[in-house]
This record gives sequence, C-alpha cells and structure tokens, in this order.
Amino acid sequence: MTMPAFVKFWGTRGSIPTPSSWTRVYGGNTSCVEVRFDDTMFICDAGSGIRELGKDIITRQPRPTELHLLITHTHWDHIQGFPFFTPAYVPQMQIHLYGESKDTNRPYELLSGQMSSEYFPVSFSQLGAKIISSHFNDSQATIGGVNVRRFPLNHPGGCSGYLFEKGGRKIVYATDNEIVPQPGDVFPDPDDEGPLRQVPKTLVEVTQGADLLIADAQYDDREYASKKGWGHSSSFSVTDWAVQAGVKNLAIFHHDPEITDKDVDLKIQSCIKRAGRLNGQLTIFAAREGVELKF
Amino acid sequence: MSTSQFEATIATSISVVRRERELRGRYLEQIEGEGSPRQIPLERPQLVIGRGEADVPLTSLRASRQHAILTLKGMDFTIRDNESHNGIFLNGVKIHSAILRDGDVLQVADCAFIFREG
Repeated sequence: MTMPAFVKFWGTRGSIPTPSSWTRVYGGNTSCVEVRFDDTMFICDAGSGIRELGKDIITRQPRPTELHLLITHTHWDHIQGFPFFTPAYVPQMQIHLYGESKDTNRPYELLSGQMSSEYFPVSFSQLGAKIISSHFNDSQATIGGVNVRRFPLNHPGGCSGYLFEKGGRKIVYATDNEIVPQPGDVFPDPDDEGPLRQVPKTLVEVTQGADLLIADAQYDDREYASKKGWGHSSSFSVTDWAVQAGVKNLAIFHHDPEITDKDVDLKIQSCIKRAGRLNGQLTIFAAREGVELKF
Repeated sequence: MSTSQFEATIATSISVVRRERELRGRYLEQIEGEGSPRQIPLERPQLVIGRGEADVPLTSLRASRQHAILTLKGMDFTIRDNESHNGIFLNGVKIHSAILRDGDVLQVADCAFIFREG
C-alpha cells in the first residue's frame, strides 16, 4: 500500500518576516516547507517559519527523531529561523544538514556561523541534537526510500531546487529562481495577451508532470520590470513554466514582503486566468502558512 | 518645574493593563447545500462536520460520517480532513488541513460554508 505524501507550509514570505494584519491570511514568516513521505521528514529551508514547525514537531506523537534539512541557499530569509528551531536543542534528535559535496557544506558553515557569539547567545556546538553534515552524490540521494534530486536555480550567489519522488508522487520545491524573459516573449504583458513564455528546458524537464510545484513568483510583471537580476520571477513566467511542464498543482511561493493578502489574491486570480487562456490543466493557489496538502 | 505641568495626569483607580479581547464569536455561514442558509456558531473547542449525528450535520450522501474536524488551537480554528472519501476544499483547493481565516470558503461534499470571525 502506497502511503500518502504530505506538504505543509510553515513560512511562505520572501526576504524578511512580515507580521501584520495584512499578511494574516498567507502569513509573514519566511521560507520553510515540510515534505513528509511516510516516516521520512524533509524540511525545506530554515526561514522564520521553522520556529513554529519546531514547536509542532516537539508535540507530535510519536515524535520524529530524524530530520532532513535541505537549504536552497544561505540568504538570510532561508536560514534565520534555525537558532530558534527547538528540535535542534533536543539530545535525542538527529538532523541531517545537506551540503554541496563531501568536502563542502556551505549551509553547515553558515548555519553554525550565524550562531557565533556576535549574533546569537547560544553557539552551534551547544546544540543538543546531533547535527550531521550530509551530502548528495551527483545531485542525487535516496533518503528513506525517497529519491531526492537537487537542481540549479537562477539566483544571485546560486541556489538549488529539490525534487522528491516516491511511489509515483512527485513534489518540487523551487524557490528563489529568476526566469528571465527572452527575446520574443511578450513582457511585460499587462493585458495578458501573449503566448507561453520561454522557460529553461531543464526546469520543464525536472518538473514534468509534478503533483505539486512550489515556485517563487515574488513579483508580477510590473514589479519584476524594476527588479530584474534580483533572482525572483514574475508570476506569469512561473504560470507558463507550470503549464509547459504539465504540473497538476502550482503553489505560488515567496510572497513579496510589500504585498498584502488582497494583492496575493489578485495575483492568483490573474495567474488562473492566464493558465486557462493558455489551456493549462492545473490548480493554482498561493502558498499559505498553516495549510497542509496530501498527495 | 511647576506642578501645573502634571495637571494632565489624573490619579485614577482604573487598571491600565491591556485587556485581552474575548474570543470573538466565530461561526460557519452555510451558503450552499441542503440546510442553507444557516449560521453555525463555533462555540466548542472541537466540532465534527459529517453526515448523520455530527456537530455540524450534513445530509449529503457525498459526505462521510465524520468528514472533517474543526479544532480550536490557541486563538485559531483549524480544519482537518478526517480521511473522508471526497475530501475538503479551501477556497477551491483540496487540502488536508488548514488554519481558517475570516472569509475562507470551505467546501464539504455538496455544501459550502464561509468561515466568519466576529
């Protein structure tokens, strides 16, 4: 019997935590997503959302004792929550922290670095949990029977997306990625009239037929026009990516700290309209703190 | 310094400690399906939505007996699909669980509800 996969959003905001009455629906915590296959638990990014996840893990029965932490990149909004992650202080806990290779583990270095005394009162070496530096082989790993593939994203300083596959289910986490409009694309497209934009073939290939694609679409076309090169995508470009890859569900992620819940709703409506016009057969929604999906 | 500068400060026995607002009356407003329109107050920390003898009873055959569970956690109501046959939808998206916010549209079987916070 195939066990279901679960995905839960703990932090969906980009750049900086944004607690406010106008972010109450989609949430103000920075990136953190739980992906669970059977008893194997992955944590994608350690933004401020990981604090609530940690509190939740501690109360679960049975409590997980082995966690797999995958960091897309080490910009602040993806690591800042780790010092407040309660399971890291629990002696019985094992946390695998995945780096680039056997010899290089930048996430390990940066997560420990941000706990030096200049920044935080508790040092990394004082954590009760066993923090294990782990790595992929040729961007692939099989963890708890789940095939995990790391793939490159377009973001200043570099970034990785992650593909999780098991039992025919396919989940992709791809945040902090800029899809650059190409010559021939209609950009900006304020009236939503243009054809599908060109999307890197590698992205389409890795996400082909995914049950869920969680993708950075921090901007709309208008916002993106003034923020080219910042490493984030327009929601229309991401919609076109999902349509071309035939994904079943697209979660718009990494919401800009300046946009309100109402803005997010409007963005999603425009993406749904565009996908429909381009014959996309998918569900599009905004990633929202506290929402759990089952596949 | 003259005492007149302090005249605006009036001695009082009124407590100035911030007072936590009482939990606002929250309810489900059924807008579609048999039984609508109706309002269902959420006055207990846990309620079952389902067919038959549930806290929020539904008549639809598409509803499971204990279809979904609403639970108060802290200040928030969470809804969870209780392994129902047809699932639950939040604002049109099939979910397993979610923290509810004012205005959310919840679909259970043939029924639709709006979650209201006061």
